[in-house]
Amino acid sequence: MQFEAISIDRLSHRFLSRTRPPTTALTGVSCVFPAGKVTSIVGPSGCGKSTLLLILRGLMSATEGKVQFLYGDGSGNRCAGDPPRMATVWQSFNLLPWRTVLDNVAFGLELKGVSGDERYARAAEAIKAVELAGFEKHYPGQLSGGMKQRVGLARGLVMSPDILFLDEPFGALDAQTRLYLQEQLSAVVERSGKTVILITHSIEEAIYLGDHVAVMTARPGRIARTLDVDLPRPRGIDTQNNKRFGELFTEIYGLLRDEVRKSMLN
Amino acid sequence: MSDVKQSAVNGDEPLPQAAQNERLRDGYWYYGPIAMALFLAFWEVSVQVADVPELYLPRPSVVVVSLYDLFVNKNLAYDLGLTLFRIFGGFFLAAIVGIALGILMGTSRRIYAICDIFVAAIYPVPKISLVPLLVIWLGSGNAFQIALSALGCVFPILVNTIIGVRQCDEGLILAARDLGATRMQIQRKIVLPAAVPAIFGGLRLALGISIILIVAAEMQTARYGLGARLQLAGQVLETGQVFAILLLLAVLGILLTKGQQKLDGLVSRWRTN
Repeated sequence: MQFEAISIDRLSHRFLSRTRPPTTALTGVSCVFPAGKVTSIVGPSGCGKSTLLLILRGLMSATEGKVQFLYGDGSGNRCAGDPPRMATVWQSFNLLPWRTVLDNVAFGLELKGVSGDERYARAAEAIKAVELAGFEKHYPGQLSGGMKQRVGLARGLVMSPDILFLDEPFGALDAQTRLYLQEQLSAVVERSGKTVILITHSIEEAIYLGDHVAVMTARPGRIARTLDVDLPRPRGIDTQNNKRFGELFTEIYGLLRDEVRKSMLN
Repeated sequence: MSDVKQSAVNGDEPLPQAAQNERLRDGYWYYGPIAMALFLAFWEVSVQVADVPELYLPRPSVVVVSLYDLFVNKNLAYDLGLTLFRIFGGFFLAAIVGIALGILMGTSRRIYAICDIFVAAIYPVPKISLVPLLVIWLGSGNAFQIALSALGCVFPILVNTIIGVRQCDEGLILAARDLGATRMQIQRKIVLPAAVPAIFGGLRLALGISIILIVAAEMQTARYGLGARLQLAGQVLETGQVFAILLLLAVLGILLTKGQQKLDGLVSRWRTN
């Protein structure tokens, strides 16, 4: 049996507050995220994208509905099973400031009880893969934002996850760094064939990296539509010049435009 | 990244960040000692010129001579050792209790709710006012001195530890959970290290309090120790000795503060900005 998809069915989430009425972050979200593909989730700010990610990752439980990990034998028969290995890359990096780059990347293996030699060897390899060799002994405070996020990526990849969650991974970076990292990430993802869930508010990023784009509505968030990105891979910087890219952009922006206005009003 | 490569090619290796900070910090290190030397010289000369009686204000050179005399002929080393033992005895006891309880109170709402009212009740009590009670319970020996110091030290350590534990970045905990950390691992590998700077702040405050309390208590009740010797010297109008012991306390203060700063720097090498 092989991991085939993540499925959510009528997922809702409310945040309770002692001082304010409860906020409904998500309402009736249904979607299937196919394995081995990159699904971008794009939506206006505050629409519950990050909440959805936390729920999918299992770090938060939804008020209603559940997340299922579907396994199948390829012939269409599917059944729900245990979650596969997962790792997350965060917008705010969330690196441990008192640990060196090497110790940050080795952290997950350390938690699992992997012996010192092995975890440092694997961490060093992951650091090399994100082009940070030579910075093993640096502390996060000594690195630029782009470098920090590469450490964050290495920390996730070293766990060899089946599913990689990316929570606005380039949101805190400047435009040029972002372009470069998107390119790197795109290469890594295409090579590994991992299942990737990418949360972003950038339409370009959603199309450039995604096989599918799920467009969310303003709060309370739902998935308004899912589009297939039928652009050839491997993708590069010239993908953006593709006529289809422009069409997809216009279509997604059309869906988002009213939602963005709504999100600014409430 | 490219900056580092660039300058390595040009042949002027940039200093590692820590060394750069060291250089910035140490540029003015001699200003303090020079200011102190000037102050002492002014004191020495003006007392001599104005002919102030030694009973009121001895010259620094006289103070140094009486300090030497106290050590060589009056066994002041014993008092110094005793005072240090009491200061650190109370301090370490408070550190163990304060950090352990602080972590518990910072992480468990239930324990916090139970302990908070006791903390609120005892914290504002001036610790010196507990001297009569502690003497009745423990006598006037080391046990009393250490208990008094520990009572004074425990609150700054406790309060700082609670704050340090509570202000732990939620994102770091989330990241650790994502990587599969257990509850225990989160406490040990995220919450505690994140609280270290705050805990060190508490320890710094506590050591100062311990010195104050021990010397004050020694002046009231003890037969030996720097506070006791200070009280005695004052009673027999040995102003030179009074100044000598004050000088010793001042040097002690400088050494302890600097030592703590060094330790703090060592523990938090990662705080580069």
